[in-house]
Amino acid sequence: MAQAGKGRLNYRCPSCFMRDLDMDMFYDKQKDEYYCLRCQFTGNEADVLKGNDMCRIKYRSMLKRITVFS
Amino acid sequence: MGKFILNIIHRPEMVPEYAEKITGQGKKEDISRKDLLTESLDIFKLQQQIAHENGFKTTIQMTYASLFNEEAVELAKEHHEKYGDEISLTLLGLPCKEFREKYKTKDFCIWMFSMEDKKSIVNDVFEKFYSMFGFYPTSTGSYYMDAELINYIKETYPMVKCAVTSCWEEGPKAYRTCNNSWYTFLDGGPWNPWIPSKQNTHAPAASEHEDSGIVAIPHLSRDLLACFDGNGSNFGTHPQNVLRGMIYKNGEYPYLYNLIDQYRSLEKYNSGYAYNMMFVGPGWMNKMGRWEATYELLVKSYKDGMAYYGSLRDKNELEDMTMSEFADWYRENKSYTEPECALWKDILYGSDKQLFWYSDPFLRTCLDMNQGGAIIDLRPYIAKLERPIGIGTKNVHDASYPYLVQSMYRAGYFTHYVGEGTIKSCKISYEGEEVDLCLCRTKASFSQNGKDRVLTLDPVEIEFRDLTIKLVSTFTFTEGAGEIKISRKISGMSNPDAKITLNEYITACYGTTEYPEDMTGITLKLTDGKAVKQIDYNYKCREEKMTEVIEVEATIPQIGTRLRIRPADGQIHGYINEGYAFSPMFTLGLTKELSNEEEMITWLRLEKAD
Ligand SMILES: [Zn+2]
Repeated sequence: MAQAGKGRLNYRCPSCFMRDLDMDMFYDKQKDEYYCLRCQFTGNEADVLKGNDMCRIKYRSMLKRITVFS
Repeated sequence: MGKFILNIIHRPEMVPEYAEKITGQGKKEDISRKDLLTESLDIFKLQQQIAHENGFKTTIQMTYASLFNEEAVELAKEHHEKYGDEISLTLLGLPCKEFREKYKTKDFCIWMFSMEDKKSIVNDVFEKFYSMFGFYPTSTGSYYMDAELINYIKETYPMVKCAVTSCWEEGPKAYRTCNNSWYTFLDGGPWNPWIPSKQNTHAPAASEHEDSGIVAIPHLSRDLLACFDGNGSNFGTHPQNVLRGMIYKNGEYPYLYNLIDQYRSLEKYNSGYAYNMMFVGPGWMNKMGRWEATYELLVKSYKDGMAYYGSLRDKNELEDMTMSEFADWYRENKSYTEPECALWKDILYGSDKQLFWYSDPFLRTCLDMNQGGAIIDLRPYIAKLERPIGIGTKNVHDASYPYLVQSMYRAGYFTHYVGEGTIKSCKISYEGEEVDLCLCRTKASFSQNGKDRVLTLDPVEIEFRDLTIKLVSTFTFTEGAGEIKISRKISGMSNPDAKITLNEYITACYGTTEYPEDMTGITLKLTDGKAVKQIDYNYKCREEKMTEVIEVEATIPQIGTRLRIRPADGQIHGYINEGYAFSPMFTLGLTKELSNEEEMITWLRLEKAD
């Protein structure tokens, strides 16, 4: 099996992002799979994007324009 | 109408941080690759173009590497002429062929070098700048600049009046986020510009005698709530940081504008003054994209951010200045003891949480209204700790200013199993029941009365089995006093004849990280004016009490600080608690019996202990 490289974009691991860790993932061409060197996350691009959306759950006001402050 | 000032800073970094790691993946390291240099300069040109298209002048912080690039130098001269940009000099972006040949190291963070190297680098960089421009810069910066470095620069190049000196709350959290490989331990400074003292950059100068001679600006304006418990590099006035935090959807990031607007709103607490700083390194706009953000999105976010500032300027709600212009404005309009205040609310997570941040030359603190106004961060600036940093000192990395209370690192109200966490709060007890104000969520309002900044909390209700009381907490910060006056007043009782007991306490320790430090050497004392009781910290879980105390105190020689708490009047009991190995803290407390409409006043004071 050949060494892994970077994918089209430099995706980070969604599982690690959820615990405040920025971990670049590497890409395994043969399996069409991104994987994390630190945790056990593996997945294709769709899985990563789904994971990224889960990361955003905590940002409940993310898309709200706020105009009144304390 | 307030004054909202913006500093926009760009740096032509010929070898952007990250770029070599990312764009060069799979290649052997070569920081003089031609394509890397060309791309870096192109990004700088694009950033400059976006700012100028929006009618802004910038501060161009030349890097050492860029001083060897004729095109970068010519561009700076041209933009200074044409747009009024300030040509400045940064101590970031040192890496280049010339630097590595001379210093034979890959280090790039100026504060981590030996003092000898710091001086030599400053001389090299400033003299190279002079040789290219024919004058010396009046502003400079880095992610962090230690006091010894600033003092040397000021001594050698006295024309320097402004510097980027720190990244707010970038410490153990940033280190961890970067897979424990990003060594910026810089917690504990002010979030908005200040005048650093000669002794410690984080601690503002209290007088001309302590004045380092520069005005410090923070690297970015950061979210005062999100950054206190999260990665500082996700929540700042840096559009690509917001992308890094994944705080966007379909190319929209209203959070960025909310953040800018909340900073603008701080003029309400600072005599009409508010501030923003935007400083995006070129590595954040590289053609390969940055993490999952494409190049197009990176550029769009920068354009959008700048356009938003532009729209504010068009409405006369913003004034852009270069760094040196800002330093002049700051000197003319600010005094040493004027505090920086920020009543800050959650604008990201959808809670109603509100924090109050306060900073002056004597202390920095944070109150959490979600915990009844508990103090969740406390830093003794008055100690003006001299802590040399860099290779050759005993401290190569840790530039953080120590805390006495930091409830994220060292637990607050909630701990697992036994033991205490660092917090300053108050417990109310009645017939065997006890409630901590940490469990009373409330809101605060700010007012200013001459030299007093007053934070008044909405009344909280405390329910006992057969008594309900209402209590109002007020915190008063008197300018120049170095202490906090805390009032707890009973504003109603379901049984007006009842008597409750207040226990005003602080649990503290010291440190700069999440880990415990050696507590031996700390002394705890209480006195009634005649007798003194004392505990020399030895993890023995001891307690001493006294009736009618006039003061309780802790001396922490490790951080040259004395913490004193005194009551307004008599009939107050006091106690000191030592702590033990599984709870490496100490507690100072005052207790008093109160009836309806009565008030308990205490003062928390920080002093330098020699
Ligand atoms: Zn992972």
